[in-house]
Amino acid sequence: MNFQTFGGYQEDLWPQAFADTDVELAPASATPNPAKVGSASVRIEGVVKQHGATRVLHGIDLQIAPGEFFVLLGPSGSGKTTTLRILAGLESVSAGHVYMDGADVTTKEPGLRDVAMVFQSYALYPHMTVEQNIGFPLKMVGTGKEVIGRSVDRAAAMVGIAHLLQRTPGQLSGGQQQRVALARAIVRQPRLFLLDEPLSNLDAKLRLETRVELKRLQRSLGVTTVYVTHDQEEAMTLADRIAVFMDGRIVQVGSPRQIFAKPLSIDVASFIGSPPMNLLVGEWEGHAVTVGGSTVAVAIESPQSRDVVIGVRPSDLRLADGGLRARVEGVEHLGDNVVVDLVVDERLVKLKTDRAPVLREGEAVFVAFAPEDAHLFDAESGARIA
Amino acid sequence: MTTTGALPRPGRAIALYALAGAVLAVWAFPVVWGLLTSFKTERDVLAYPPVWIFTPTLANYRDVLFGPSSIVPNLFSSLVVASLATALTLVFGIPAAYAMARLRFPAKKTTGFYVLATQMLPPVGLIIPYYLALQKVGGLDTYAGLVVIDLTFSLPFAIWLLVSYFEDVPVEMEEAALLDRAGRVRALWHVILPQVKGGIAVTTIFVFLNAWNEFMFAVVLGGNRVRPVTVAMFNFISVEQTQWARLAAGAMLAMAPVILLGLFAQRHIVKGLTVGAVKGGGRR
Repeated sequence: MNFQTFGGYQEDLWPQAFADTDVELAPASATPNPAKVGSASVRIEGVVKQHGATRVLHGIDLQIAPGEFFVLLGPSGSGKTTTLRILAGLESVSAGHVYMDGADVTTKEPGLRDVAMVFQSYALYPHMTVEQNIGFPLKMVGTGKEVIGRSVDRAAAMVGIAHLLQRTPGQLSGGQQQRVALARAIVRQPRLFLLDEPLSNLDAKLRLETRVELKRLQRSLGVTTVYVTHDQEEAMTLADRIAVFMDGRIVQVGSPRQIFAKPLSIDVASFIGSPPMNLLVGEWEGHAVTVGGSTVAVAIESPQSRDVVIGVRPSDLRLADGGLRARVEGVEHLGDNVVVDLVVDERLVKLKTDRAPVLREGEAVFVAFAPEDAHLFDAESGARIA
Repeated sequence: MTTTGALPRPGRAIALYALAGAVLAVWAFPVVWGLLTSFKTERDVLAYPPVWIFTPTLANYRDVLFGPSSIVPNLFSSLVVASLATALTLVFGIPAAYAMARLRFPAKKTTGFYVLATQMLPPVGLIIPYYLALQKVGGLDTYAGLVVIDLTFSLPFAIWLLVSYFEDVPVEMEEAALLDRAGRVRALWHVILPQVKGGIAVTTIFVFLNAWNEFMFAVVLGGNRVRPVTVAMFNFISVEQTQWARLAAGAMLAMAPVILLGLFAQRHIVKGLTVGAVKGGGRR
């Protein structure tokens, strides 16, 4: 992925910690996202979740600014959905605290938190019409019929389902059901908006369209949004900031650009990007890393020899006259670009380019990259060195 | 069009109808016989060979409805017992089934097994203890006593039946309702119950029919005050003679509400049985 498409964020304006109510610290982005009044800030402190003997979350700390679009990204079973459910109040914590706007809501009932959630399965009420589904959260707090009617119409119009109000969920397509779920969540203007893989049940084309609309909707509502996904591309395009989850821990928090440009561990590096980052084992000394007999230059210097894992994005890799010795395995034409499968030091390496090279299978070539494009990780711990 | 090994279409239809007709004849014969008998005089009833052509009389119905041995009070008893048993079964069974399906509590498995185990005991084995227990608390020959004893069987059955319906409602549905600020009670009322109403209908019918048809407890634990129609029928059979025609008329009257209910709820019953059969087994 070319990160110019989601670029424009100014990393320097992203302090690690947000003050609770300081709206000025909200993400500075290309399209400003002013937090609406009533949009919550969220703070999670040392949250541990234990299911019997299994520890699902090992102490989660997070700060989410008002109006922010915050994505919890990670493979399945990494604890991201559990974290979302803890925010919703559907799951209790074994230790730690959850704060909304500075107030401790750790033990507060879900209904008292003023949060709305879109479930992966949508969880529409099958016996109610679309209109009744969307109006339900308002009806439950005794809102007058007329107000409900107007609010439902407005919410339905925002997601483009005004013509479906009299149908029941069973008569709708998956995409339409998804919109009803969205409308039901936005109808009461919650302080916090939670989405659990809302696009995963849609087909590829619809998913892309809805992604764009979702972003636009969140911008116009300005409500703090926490979004769970395992799809790194979805996270990259939607998020103001991302928290990457691995095995019940947050391994990195940052803007999409930060996470793409400076992954803090091998795990993150190989999770982000499509195709993911190439990783090779090598020996690093001075400004050079030796991989399978070939030597490549890197930007920073190691005083003594050490084992490292060197990572290079497929798009940073190019065919050259010298560098790493490689054998061509195959060429995948993806339309606007080409992915070349190579074998370097008996490992599969992918090279992404927009100009189709003329290559034969089995051909011996060299690949190279700019020294500053190399990511170096400690071979033992997997942590980023540079 | 024609599949190998199967009869051609018209032939197949005829065979199916013939089979259905045969099954129906076997099943319906006693009912038809009873219906005919109820319109006969006692003399015609005992005629041999049986007479098919006879002058119908309404005397039997008049007797069992308005005569000295009228069964109207017994029909009323049955109605009270069956209705109360059904209502109480639902009042206790619905929350219990919901809890069994949803909540995690200690000894949930044991409780579930207990519920099922009560269905395995032959009721006759319990009749003496029940009699003694009711006698101790003065519950013999009372509506309360009979209804409570009915509950000991209908409630576990209802819970067992309803649990599978509740389990079929996704948990997220309820979580969504909680986040929509419904609270547990209103989530149950507005979101869960409407989705299990088929199951509730089936349970209502089964429990009502069971209570209405129940004979053994009624005959032992009932008495002069509380005598359901099933027991009253029994009294048409005495040492001196069996009043077949009146018995038949009474039986027809006792069957009427059951058959009406069955016809009315046929759709639900069939659906409920198949749901239980298909989904009840392969639960996670």
